[in-house]
Amino acid sequence: MVILALSAIVGASKVTTPYLNGLSSRDDAERFQQLASYVLLSTGTPSNWGQSSGTFPSRLGLAKENSEQNYELDIDKVTRLNSRNIYSLIYSQIWDALGATDVAFQLEVRTLFEVSIRLASNSTRGDQTSYEFEITTKKSGMPISTELCGYVAVRNFVNKTASFTSSNGIGSFTIGIPNWISGAALFLVTARAKTNPQIVSFDIYSFGHNSQTPLPNGTFTSLSPLAYVLKASFISSGTEIMSASIFTFNYNFSLAEKAAGVQSKEYTIPCILDSSPMVMVLTGHNASTSFAEWVPYPQLPLQVGMDFSQSVAGSKIVTQSHIVTINQALYEVVTKWGGTV
Amino acid sequence: MFDRKGQIRIIEAFLAVGVIFSALLISFTFPASPDLAKQKSLAQVGMQALMKLDTNGTLANLVEGQDWTAIKESLDILLPIGVAFNLTVYDENRQQVNLQPIRNSNLLGHESVSVQYICATRNQVVQLFLLRLQLAWTT
Repeated sequence: MVILALSAIVGASKVTTPYLNGLSSRDDAERFQQLASYVLLSTGTPSNWGQSSGTFPSRLGLAKENSEQNYELDIDKVTRLNSRNIYSLIYSQIWDALGATDVAFQLEVRTLFEVSIRLASNSTRGDQTSYEFEITTKKSGMPISTELCGYVAVRNFVNKTASFTSSNGIGSFTIGIPNWISGAALFLVTARAKTNPQIVSFDIYSFGHNSQTPLPNGTFTSLSPLAYVLKASFISSGTEIMSASIFTFNYNFSLAEKAAGVQSKEYTIPCILDSSPMVMVLTGHNASTSFAEWVPYPQLPLQVGMDFSQSVAGSKIVTQSHIVTINQALYEVVTKWGGTV
Repeated sequence: MFDRKGQIRIIEAFLAVGVIFSALLISFTFPASPDLAKQKSLAQVGMQALMKLDTNGTLANLVEGQDWTAIKESLDILLPIGVAFNLTVYDENRQQVNLQPIRNSNLLGHESVSVQYICATRNQVVQLFLLRLQLAWTT
């Protein structure tokens, strides 16, 4: 009798365990949803932790202080999640501030669609070289029709042009650069969806104008924007800055120097009312090598947290997507949660 | 006498075990309840997309101008890939305003959720519109 009763209990528990686990997983999904909403809707503690490089949050929240709309994030709080920024938080600080020590997570902030630039051709005529670029705008392969604004920057030379991508998501630019200058050049394209000016994206193409192909971004300087100040830390001695500029969809300005040290410089970033990412470009040289380096503000795209691509097969990962506003432009935040213990 | 009682107890026990297992088997033959968290998350994504589109009155302007293509293209960008949607716009009298469908694919055969959103024009004569967005995961 006892053996029968025990075997019945064991059998019943064996059969029901997967079902009960499934129920608890549903609770996990609900909980992860709440956690993501909390991170994106609350300002965190202290509420202005983003602006001060020496302040670390005791409670994580990315929302902008005194915002009038939901899911509006603080430009500096988001920027401090990017590990390339010298003022960034490390994963353990973010994890502690989240307060849920039994979960692993990943947070990704990116533009809502992608822009890609391809150099189609170049030709020299007289005293200038013409470059033809092909621009593609799409979201996961789906073409997006956009308005485009292109800037080319070489040393102190800046030129602005406009174009568009049609319904097939393809457009082009032809730009001319005078041959009396030479060095590392950048071609920056900001794109804005024709249907909604808040949906924006950008891409940057680096090339050599009458010179060899430039070294990768970040070779000469480490650029870290925070609280509307750009800090440029020189990686090697002998680095000279020739120009510092800021570009948005509608505007471009030279940056005013705020402070200068032996191995660094600081520039004031103007508060520009434009639904657009801001891209700062520094041109200069180190010995005979010229460079043009850049950083966007907010410093995107970024991915912080656990790398779930290395997860054990079959482990449950909950992915959520949110649309957020940063500096009047719309971005996508993707959160991944998993590994409950 | 005791042997008979014992035999009956054993039969009772077997019956009890049988009842438990048959109850479990029957419970597993019922279809699983929908994943409510996933559906709730989808509804939240849809509501957020409409809210963000309505920032600065863009959505109401597009509805007033009957620019259904622009609304469809905006939702294509704002909603995640793999989400099918169908948007219906009603006026204050519950009359359907959009005469052409605003959707990216057919929702038939997919478990869908629905969110409702009210938007208003920012003119001197305010017009109200009720937007009903149906969403479903296709992947």
